[in-house]
Amino acid sequence: MGNNNQTQKEKQYQSLEKKYETKRPVLKNCLKAFLVGGLFCLVGQAITYFYIYFFNFTEQTAGNPTVATMVFISMLLTGFGVYDHIGQFAGAGSAVPVTGFGNAVISAAIEHRTEGFVLGVGGNMFKLAGSVILFGVFSAFIVALIKTLLIQWGVI
Amino acid sequence: MKNARLLIALLTLVLVGGCNNDGPKESGMALIQTTNPSAVTLNKHTREESDLIEAIETDIEGFKELYDVAVVKGKKDILVAYKVKHLQRFRMKQIEKKVVKHLEDKYPNENFTVSSDYKIFLEAVELEKNMKNPNYSPKKAEDKLQEIIKLQKELT
Repeated sequence: MGNNNQTQKEKQYQSLEKKYETKRPVLKNCLKAFLVGGLFCLVGQAITYFYIYFFNFTEQTAGNPTVATMVFISMLLTGFGVYDHIGQFAGAGSAVPVTGFGNAVISAAIEHRTEGFVLGVGGNMFKLAGSVILFGVFSAFIVALIKTLLIQWGVI
Repeated sequence: MKNARLLIALLTLVLVGGCNNDGPKESGMALIQTTNPSAVTLNKHTREESDLIEAIETDIEGFKELYDVAVVKGKKDILVAYKVKHLQRFRMKQIEKKVVKHLEDKYPNENFTVSSDYKIFLEAVELEKNMKNPNYSPKKAEDKLQEIIKLQKELT
């Protein structure tokens, strides 16, 4: 529906609504998300250095165990109920990094526990996170396919 | 809530404490500080050899994008590790290409392994420290060098 089809009354209502609606503090939210997301990344960087320093990982390879650890930590925090508070405060800052993935898995598992372990937890755990995995794997497959073909043809 | 905090604290303690014993001890702060290690040869300690690696080290230090260069020469391979200045890290790949090209043009007969990875640098510094110990056998040192080069080639 375009704006042109609105009647006079609808327009009046919308201007009225705008007057009373509480304004979203977009800038403040962005700032919070930026800071908290940055803090997560700081922790991630520390874990990366931990793996480089104490184990046989290079900067190239330390990414994988770091991601796994971050997801694990966020799963624990979700279980203890800490991550909910962080999410409430930081919004996208806590949902966009890979920690949000762990949160999505575990919170769904907790939510559906009353429905039983197979149909409840097992069936619902990946309702939200499953699409993330699917899209990730599939897009990685496509990109790898394109890259392989380009290398085979000698373009790159 | 209190229990949760305690559990997290204990878990991190166990995780961190358990891996404390096999970390590099001597190279210590090389990850954070500028160490400027001297170039080392592992096998022959002739004048020619040391002149060669000294020349290589001064060459690499001439690049203004880098600091902290470690050069290690084994039987056939020469390992060159360096740290890239933080704001130049966006151009890490280009810098590496430039360094490799410069080295191969200038010393066409040598076999170089060039890396800007912190882990490689850390290991190179440790090897350099170990070489100061007279009981450290050349065979062991060469093995260690090959191990580092293998680590550098690892991608996943």
